Amino acid sequence: MKKILIVDDEEVIRMLYAEELEDEGYSVITADSGYGLIELIAREKPHLVVLDIKMAEHHGLDLLQDIRKEFYNIPVILCSAYSSFKGDLKSVAADYYVVKSADLTELKQKIKMALEGSIWHKPSTE
Amino acid sequence: MFIEKNPHNIKAAELVVGIPSYNEAERISYPTAKASEGLIEYFGDKTSVIINCDNNSRDGTREAFMSTTTEVPKIYISTPPGIKGKGSNLRNLFKKSCDLGAEAIVVVDADLKSITPRWIKNLAGPVLEGFGFVAPLYVRHKYDGTITNNIAYPLTRSVYGRRVRQPIGGDFAFSGRVADIYLKQPDWSQAVAEYGIDIWMTTTAICHDIPICQSYMGRPKIHKPKDPGESLGPMFLQVVGTMFDMMIEHVAFWKEVKWSKPTAIFGFGLGEMEQPPPVNVNVERLYEKFQEGIARHEALIKDILSGNHHRKLTEVKTLTLRDFEFPANLWAGVLIDFGVAYKNSLKKKEKIMEGLIPLYYGRTCSFVIESEPMTIQQAEDFIEDQCSVFEHAKPYLLKRWFE
Repeated sequence: MKKILIVDDEEVIRMLYAEELEDEGYSVITADSGYGLIELIAREKPHLVVLDIKMAEHHGLDLLQDIRKEFYNIPVILCSAYSSFKGDLKSVAADYYVVKSADLTELKQKIKMALEGSIWHKPSTE
Repeated sequence: MFIEKNPHNIKAAELVVGIPSYNEAERISYPTAKASEGLIEYFGDKTSVIINCDNNSRDGTREAFMSTTTEVPKIYISTPPGIKGKGSNLRNLFKKSCDLGAEAIVVVDADLKSITPRWIKNLAGPVLEGFGFVAPLYVRHKYDGTITNNIAYPLTRSVYGRRVRQPIGGDFAFSGRVADIYLKQPDWSQAVAEYGIDIWMTTTAICHDIPICQSYMGRPKIHKPKDPGESLGPMFLQVVGTMFDMMIEHVAFWKEVKWSKPTAIFGFGLGEMEQPPPVNVNVERLYEKFQEGIARHEALIKDILSGNHHRKLTEVKTLTLRDFEFPANLWAGVLIDFGVAYKNSLKKKEKIMEGLIPLYYGRTCSFVIESEPMTIQQAEDFIEDQCSVFEHAKPYLLKRWFE
């Protein structure tokens, strides 16, 4: 079973995503902030991270850079209520960018694509 | 084989900046001076050299390069008289860099007007940190780089599954090991020896699993932009022909690839983004060239396109400029049909490529019309949507390629 980590400071969002994604057959773990995120990923080894951008104490795009430094190949989907962060070049490092919506169809589709796309991808080391 | 002027008798260098040129006497001093400043400011503890790899220019390029005041020593190398092409120049650069034992090689275009010393840091830095190939990431005007936006980026991304936003950006960096890999490749076609070299380098790096990153340059690329309706020239044929050649060669790599993955980013914290200068495009001329070209190559296009794509193209042909639209899914299908015809040598390859040019004009015309009211960021989203269409067309590519 694929494990997904949801990082979002809104409890309602974490609960909604967890319920919907568990219904899709995924195992879901959640975090309410970026504190200890790298350690959490190292410990839990999720197959994919869904990352909020505008959180009370952390900025998702900075967290994305931290994740990329440590775990280059893990798929990360940025999920924000704001589309404006797409204009920030830092967002290019994410696999996908999804604008939050009550309808999770797009998020579920991008999760599926990101997980399928990571199968063939080889780790990059020189 | 190259002609060399090495007045300081440089025999080894850890860092090399290469500037390919042909008749760039008026412009080459600026990137040369900035490259020297960047090497001194950011890599003063390393040995370095700037190499102008030229095509035996007759306009005084060599004199302009060698007389530019720089702290870093310079070497001039040139193809023999009669041998032209950016690829030929870069092949000489690969060879010379390997001879010098370079750890990192940076390539910048000779006509660059916006290069800063920081470009050298941001291109060479990732190589010294372990990346094998570095592609540039800069803000470009939505109409600058139409081959990149409508073919090179979406096709590379969908075929090889790697998102490299500027695969033919012209400003790159790579390790000495990668230069050696490039030199050992057998597929040096005439197109690669000319403008096909940029996409060849990017694709070769992807297909050899070289660790790739994109480096943010901080300033827009300002050079000699071209109106795609006025001056497409041989570049289109060489870039797209090389892409098709490489699809044939690397099919074992890409046939397993699904969707795409992002590429690491380097070089943030450079302050506010500077907006690129506007690029003027003559939409009427693009539309006319589309209509004229498909009329001239009607039989060829009908032979190459699938029945469904030909029907849709016939619909598009009837649209006036005011309502003109060449949909992205039709464009993806057209490129796949032409790639398959190229592989199968359905016609002479030159003929096939000639038939594709008016369709490219049509798609570019549509892109310009649709993105006219858009900001640069909105146009970027539009290009990303087009990439998604290309990725969804991958099953069609696989079906056609192997039927």
